[in-house]
Formats: sequence, structure tokens, C-alpha cells
Amino acid sequence: MGHFNRANAGKSTDPITVDVERGALIFFAETIGETNPVHRSVEAARGAGHPDVVAPATYAAVLDMAATQDATRAGAIDALTLVGANMRYLLHGTEAYDYHAPIHAGDQVTVVTRIKGFTDAKGGKLEIAHLETKITHAERGDLVTVRRDLIHRLG
Amino acid sequence: MIDIARKTAQVGDALPELKFGPITRTTLALYAGVSKDHNPIHIDIDFAKKAGMDDVFAHGMLSMAQLGRTVTDWAGHENLRSLSTRFTALTPVGATVTCSGEVSERFEKDGEELLQIQLQAKIDDGTVTLTGEALVAAS
Repeated sequence: MGHFNRANAGKSTDPITVDVERGALIFFAETIGETNPVHRSVEAARGAGHPDVVAPATYAAVLDMAATQDATRAGAIDALTLVGANMRYLLHGTEAYDYHAPIHAGDQVTVVTRIKGFTDAKGGKLEIAHLETKITHAERGDLVTVRRDLIHRLG
Repeated sequence: MIDIARKTAQVGDALPELKFGPITRTTLALYAGVSKDHNPIHIDIDFAKKAGMDDVFAHGMLSMAQLGRTVTDWAGHENLRSLSTRFTALTPVGATVTCSGEVSERFEKDGEELLQIQLQAKIDDGTVTLTGEALVAAS
């Protein structure tokens, strides 16, 4: 028996607006060992023609988690709750990004996650949830599309 | 220098290797904070043991961030079109992650010349922890 909430296949979270904070972005870049100054220094980013520090390649996952936290604070249903994720059994299977436009500190982005569906693997020892998150900007449209498989270890 | 390598890259060319680590418990605590991924399996050994693990283990996304750096250090972040990974093994505390990449294809899509890159992350004992792919603009 699985733990994911399979009745929610096809459903989406309510849109959550997230502010891309400069200090948080820089601290993330430092923690992952990022050395390119466009991710760490406003002056370097502006010198390279960016309005502010640039989000590193995997920063979409952080904005996604920020949306999850904001949804929880607001009493809304976040993606992990919608999918029925259980932290005791949860593994991250796959993660993929399609980049449409850069994300900068100071951007206000909208995050929506849709549960595409569920599958089973290894004779029922694994159940997999397939999610797609779109991160968009009011004027610049799609910024990043995230595809993610979450796994419950059942065996 | 970045542009020369990318524009002239041929199938089979290797990207410069990138090493990250050793990954300490402090690294995991900091990464949990900055990534907002507060899953206790990565930071709380009591929780990890109750979940049947011997110890906490690193966030897969911390290693994916290193695959991202491997590509963007070489190609420039503005040329990255897509990045994907499959998490194939857990990364234990104390591991050093070594990331490598190789150009596997050069092709045109929607009028843009692209390079496909195969990516891999390994830990000290040779275990492959992540496999991945990236597409970068080639011109």
C-alpha cells in the first residue's frame, strides 16, 4: 500500500508568489561553492549586464520550497501535502529544469505545481509521484519549468 | 576562454572536472537552511535512525548544484538551456563529490545550435551518485 494521495493526480497547487531575495540567493550560492561572481556580487552582476545577482542553475528548487513554506504559512495546500509525501519514506528520484529566462534577485515570481500522476516500480517496492512546477514572471512569462519524480520506499 | 571551448567543442570532449567536499554535517545544516529543504533525514541523526538509516545523508540537490556548476563554469549560465538528473545512490556524510561531463552530441533545434552533455557525479569509492544531462547553446 502506498502513501501518496493518488486521488490528487491532475490537481495543481494554488499559485504562490515568491520574492527572490538577494541575501538568500547569495548565501545559497556561497553554500554550494559557486565561484562565479554574477551569483555572489551585485556589482559583478550589474557589471555583466544583469539587474541584480543571478540565480544559480538549481535555484528553481529553492523557490519551489519557498512556495511550499509560504503556502503552509497561509494555510493553503502545498505541493508536498497535495501529493501526500511522507518524509520517512521519501526519496528524490529525478529533477529536471528547462530554462526559458534568467531569474534575478528582486524578481517576484509565481510558482504552481501540478501533479502529473503516479507510477509503481520494482514490484511495488517503490511508488513514484510525477510533478511539474512552473515558475513564471508577470511580464517576462515562463522562467523555469521543473519536472520532478518523488519516490516512496515501501519495501 | 569559456566561449572558445564551447563554440569549438566536439563530441567526446570532456568538461573540466569539479570537486566538492568533503561534505560535513555543517555543510548539510547550511544547505538545509539555504535550500529551504528542511527534511530532517539530512540533518537529524535521531530521525534518520528511526527511518532505518545508519546516519543522515546529503541532499541529492546539493550534488545536482555541483553538476550545474560543472556545466555553467564551462559554458556560462546564460547558455544553459536545460539540466536534468537522476539520483542513483545516496551520498554519505564525509564524501567528496567529483563531477564530470562529456559532450555527447552537437545538433540544431529551433534554429539554435546546441551541445548535449552527459554528466556524472561520483563519490570517493567510485559509486555513481547522480547521472545527468545538460543542453547548452553552442554558438
